[in-house]
Amino acid sequence: MQLDNTVEVETPEHVRFRFRAAGPTRRAWAYLVDLLVRVGALLALEIVLALGTGYHLPMAKAVMGGGTLLALFLLEWGYFVFFETVWNGATPGKRALHLRVVKAGGYPLSFMDTVLRNLLRTADFLPVGYLLGLVVMAWDGRFARLGDRVAGTMVVIEDPVRVAPPIVIEPPPSTVEIEAFPHHVVLPLPEREAIDLLLRRRDLAPARRQELAQMVAPALGARLGVQVGDPVRFLALLHHVVAGVGASVRPEARKGRRR
Amino acid sequence: MRRTQDEFVAERQPAWNELAALLEKKRMLHRLPPPAIARAAALYREICSDLMRARGAGYSSDVVDVLDGLAARACAALYSAPPYRLAALWELVAFGFPQAVRRNVRFVALAAALFVLPGVLGFVGASRSRGFAVQIMSEPMVAQMEKAYGEFGRGRGAGTDAMMTSFYVYNNVGIAFRCFATGILFGLGSIFFLVYNGLVIGVVAGAVGAAGHGRNLFTFVAGHGAFELSAIVLSGAAGIAMGYALVDTGQRTRWASLRAKSGDLFRMITGAALMLLVAAFIEGFWSPSAILAPVKWSVAGALYVLVLCYLVLAGRGAHRGGRA
Repeated sequence: MQLDNTVEVETPEHVRFRFRAAGPTRRAWAYLVDLLVRVGALLALEIVLALGTGYHLPMAKAVMGGGTLLALFLLEWGYFVFFETVWNGATPGKRALHLRVVKAGGYPLSFMDTVLRNLLRTADFLPVGYLLGLVVMAWDGRFARLGDRVAGTMVVIEDPVRVAPPIVIEPPPSTVEIEAFPHHVVLPLPEREAIDLLLRRRDLAPARRQELAQMVAPALGARLGVQVGDPVRFLALLHHVVAGVGASVRPEARKGRRR
Repeated sequence: MRRTQDEFVAERQPAWNELAALLEKKRMLHRLPPPAIARAAALYREICSDLMRARGAGYSSDVVDVLDGLAARACAALYSAPPYRLAALWELVAFGFPQAVRRNVRFVALAAALFVLPGVLGFVGASRSRGFAVQIMSEPMVAQMEKAYGEFGRGRGAGTDAMMTSFYVYNNVGIAFRCFATGILFGLGSIFFLVYNGLVIGVVAGAVGAAGHGRNLFTFVAGHGAFELSAIVLSGAAGIAMGYALVDTGQRTRWASLRAKSGDLFRMITGAALMLLVAAFIEGFWSPSAILAPVKWSVAGALYVLVLCYLVLAGRGAHRGGRA
């Protein structure tokens, strides 16, 4: 069994997508946010009811009591169902933590799924504090609690990702610099990814980039028999040469490729 | 020579952004005009091949992740059914719910027995000896029940009626949902709630009867009982059916067997919840009213017949509702 939390889903076109299944900690945080939202909503309602009816009127007690009970019912049983239906599997808490509920096949969940998975919270909660749900989650690569099992759903992480900016070599590489490299350079994928990451990261200060590049450039230069000038420029040139050669990825290096 | 990652991204990114914009515009893709849907489908296919290419060429993980997320969202938007339809509520009431009940009639019968037999036991026990009633419920509870039904039958204010209706919604639907959900423990939770509720209701009836207020109690309970008691039994039956799906898996894995049953479970528990809403309004406004007992008895009788006919006859001619 793999420790990875990536779930692969295959579509009718035989395209495979990867989802990241959300673990218990992140979901607990989302639950906490939702709990606070619900408590806040109830408090707001109490204040409105109290101000609206005035304590002394004879109807006030009935309206307060009735309104509170109805709100309690809706918040306890309806809150998750409502948001997961209208927000396509997200609730305020899940949205805050970048989570979403989807069907096991990656599809959006239906009203039936959200009703079942949220009714089953009662069982997941047993005996106290979602203990049973936690045990059941540990059993499964998708971290499905009982409600997820009955409804056939999973909670996935939807962290926003953006494509990193292209690598620009300034001034453009001269023919002499390119010629200095061997004709056919092959780097294992982890090394390529490391260089890629070093060159593309936005949040790296130039001095630090220089420092990090200095740590690897001489070793790579010695291996390839290339004179290293500016280490960052050397890595950028190396990246350019390797990328120009194309998919110089060794099959054995790819096997272990997992986030 | 193959394209570098940066060339690939530069060339393909406009298409990715276009699809992302289409998906962002409306969560409901089917509400877009037809040309936009066709465009989204074409872009989706392109992006699937981009994803394969990016993976195959070993492009960096941010590119693969972006494409993964985009393709997954597009796939979900293109293939999904709308998440809810109002017509589904009508289908549920007209045939989905009663058909599901009839398909699971053996669980309904079992649940009814688990509810009624302890009820009879509690009733007989409590009417014969007060000690029995006190054993099951606490002394103050029994005394309170006796008192409550002793001074009964004069009606209440409309405000109190409305408040009590919310209480019945909160309390009774909550009980039904718990009774259902705990059935996942191989049916044990549902069995417990059925027996417990049956016993307590029986004991209350017995104790109040023994105190000489039986007429008050039964006049009160008769009207909403038709909906309330049968709904509790049905939610328990759904819970037991859920637990049983884990035991008798019929060539499936345990969880797959459960999922195959989930349609009927949904229909039964939502149907039961709707019945409890009806019951709450009857219990809040009709049951405590000062209307003469004979009228209440006749109406109650009619409601029992109605519920029974509905569950037995409704949707007999109709096709099987929705997905199994």
